[in-house]
Amino acid sequence: MSAGLRSWLLVVLALLSSGAAAHEMSMAEMEVRQISPREFLWQWTVSGNRPANEVLTPVWPDGCQDEDNIVRCGDAGLQGVLTIKGIGKVYSAAMIRVYWRDAPMSVYTIAAGQPRARLSGPSDGASPGPGAYLYLGIEHIMLGVDHLLFVLGLLLIVGDRWMLLKTITAFTVAHSITLAVATFGIAHVPAAPLNASIALSILFLGPEIVRRWRGETSFTIRHPWVVAFAFGLLHGFGFASGLAQLGLPDSQIPLALLLFNIGVEIGQLAFVFGILLLERSFRLLECHWPRLVERLPGYLVGTLGAFWTIQRVVILLRSVA
Amino acid sequence: MRRAVGTTLVALAAIVVASPAHAHLVETGFGAFYDGIAHFAVSLADMLIVIALALFAGLRGTRAARHAMFALPAAWLVGGALGALWPTASIWPVSTTLSLALTGALVALDAKLSDASVTAFVIVAGALYGFVNGATMTPGGAGGLALLGAVCAIFFVNTILAAEVTVLPVGWPRIAVRVAGSWIAATGMLMLGWLARPTLA
Amino acid sequence: MNTHRPWKLSVAGWAALLLFAPATVLAHQEIGQITGFASGFLHPISGFDHVLAMVAVGLWGAVLGSPAIWVLPVAFPVTMAFGGLMGLLGVPLPGIEIGIAASAIVLGIMVLAQLRPPLWAAAILVAFFAIFHGYAHGKELPEGASALLYSFGFVVATGLLHLVGILLGEAHRWAVGRQAVRAAGGGVALAGLFFLWQAVAA
Repeated sequence: MSAGLRSWLLVVLALLSSGAAAHEMSMAEMEVRQISPREFLWQWTVSGNRPANEVLTPVWPDGCQDEDNIVRCGDAGLQGVLTIKGIGKVYSAAMIRVYWRDAPMSVYTIAAGQPRARLSGPSDGASPGPGAYLYLGIEHIMLGVDHLLFVLGLLLIVGDRWMLLKTITAFTVAHSITLAVATFGIAHVPAAPLNASIALSILFLGPEIVRRWRGETSFTIRHPWVVAFAFGLLHGFGFASGLAQLGLPDSQIPLALLLFNIGVEIGQLAFVFGILLLERSFRLLECHWPRLVERLPGYLVGTLGAFWTIQRVVILLRSVA
Repeated sequence: MRRAVGTTLVALAAIVVASPAHAHLVETGFGAFYDGIAHFAVSLADMLIVIALALFAGLRGTRAARHAMFALPAAWLVGGALGALWPTASIWPVSTTLSLALTGALVALDAKLSDASVTAFVIVAGALYGFVNGATMTPGGAGGLALLGAVCAIFFVNTILAAEVTVLPVGWPRIAVRVAGSWIAATGMLMLGWLARPTLA
Repeated sequence: MNTHRPWKLSVAGWAALLLFAPATVLAHQEIGQITGFASGFLHPISGFDHVLAMVAVGLWGAVLGSPAIWVLPVAFPVTMAFGGLMGLLGVPLPGIEIGIAASAIVLGIMVLAQLRPPLWAAAILVAFFAIFHGYAHGKELPEGASALLYSFGFVVATGLLHLVGILLGEAHRWAVGRQAVRAAGGGVALAGLFFLWQAVAA
């Protein structure tokens, strides 16, 4: 292994240590139970790597006081604006479920793009606002380095515009199908094996890119859209994990699903478009890269795919054992 | 050569990974890297100078634009790192605005500078703005990753814009670029007036 | 990337840049910045005397044809900014309102009479009047607004008004359009007379 290659591997390792961490979508969940007309018991129910109460502080509506996880409100009850300090750092969003004594549960979402929830008493249908889902979708793809890397791998394989269109469409259709399937609860894939197979799908593209460099051909190179569709089904389940954590009431699923999916597509298309524009610019500016630089994106896809596969298989085995 | 590039990149990656970013000037909720991009996108002064430099380099042809493609982000990054080291330094509003007006004027005049002069100009302007960027972002809590995000966004905007300008046909499209340059020059000149005013008022 | 056929994304690329452009302006979190751009942008549009003079510059440019068609609209914002600079520095400039009214009269007559002086003369004339326009309006920055965004909005609005004038002036290519352009020039000159009367009476 040449010194150059070794340096690159180091770079890759340095990058992926941040990339891998960035992808874990962490959503805090809070449960609020009405124990008397003006008293509510609350607690964080689900936490990620760091306990939610260490990094998040709820700011209750005016007129409500918090004492040892019991919120006492005035005559108005639990009404007004709820914000959570610390959202957007360790936790990208928080979901708040309010269990009323005499009314159906209300669900609110607070995220960096939707920093406040307007609590409006027990009769409320509780809609977190469509913007939050769209934002969540964009966020999920932008921080989803593994999804973007898979798309990058596809871009490196496809030959022309028409094939690119087919491939990206196939990927989109496939992940939209499984995203819907998972969100409606028709099918469920446990996280550990899913993450491992998503990593495997990226690793799979590595050798195909090398074949492409060597001028060889393969089924994937001739029909990249088939591969994009097949693996897109997997990635859709991955996207669903971002949405599923919201624990949406049934009535809101279609809208949330649609907007979340649109958010994902916006992010994905922006990525594809950006890469294509850059590629065009490099050609217009007659850039002659050293071969290593030219092949760096391919190496990136392959090495990161391999790293994640190993990492996630280890996690999978640990969870089984 | 290749080894040098590799080593440099390792060093850069180490800097980026090592420096934590806590609070940010513009919070996207997506992390420091995206915050850096957003910071650039909403900073009109930064955006204008990058657009102006890209138009300038693009008008001077493929070679100049290619050199600027590397020179601008690199100068910005180095300037930003230096600015982060001395965050108390003044933000030099007069020199940044002057360089903005000057770049706009060079675009408007379609000034036929040599490739080397273009690169030198781009480096000076980029380092200046980068320095101010680093000096102002750091007290706001933005770290190396945010700076890298901003530099990536600058690389993207500059590269694409400059490349597209190089292939514009002679005639209206190139004139439109020169008109855009005159607008930037005019904006810079008005801005100079604003900067000069408080001292007299 | 190993793409065999070149991507012809030029149009799409520019469209994307244009799509992103408003976002970069609108994305500002501080309200003061939005007001900066908006008030700068609205300023030249809100004054009828300015609108007419700027459209007249575009019209005259179209009448004169290349290269004046773009030299004049380039000269105007730059010297207008210079006028604004003078105003901000407190350099005294007498008879601003009269100068602005005169600019509408002279530019209107130029378009009406289809006068074609040499390029340098036309540029100097336009630049001279631009100073008055910049002087009068460059310095009215609202409290708390971003000066850069205000300046940028001001310049962009001015440039777009020129563009409107140029597009209208393109009608000059046809016989009917030529008469319409001349009539528009006459209208601008008449309006200028009205502004002059106002300026003197005030």
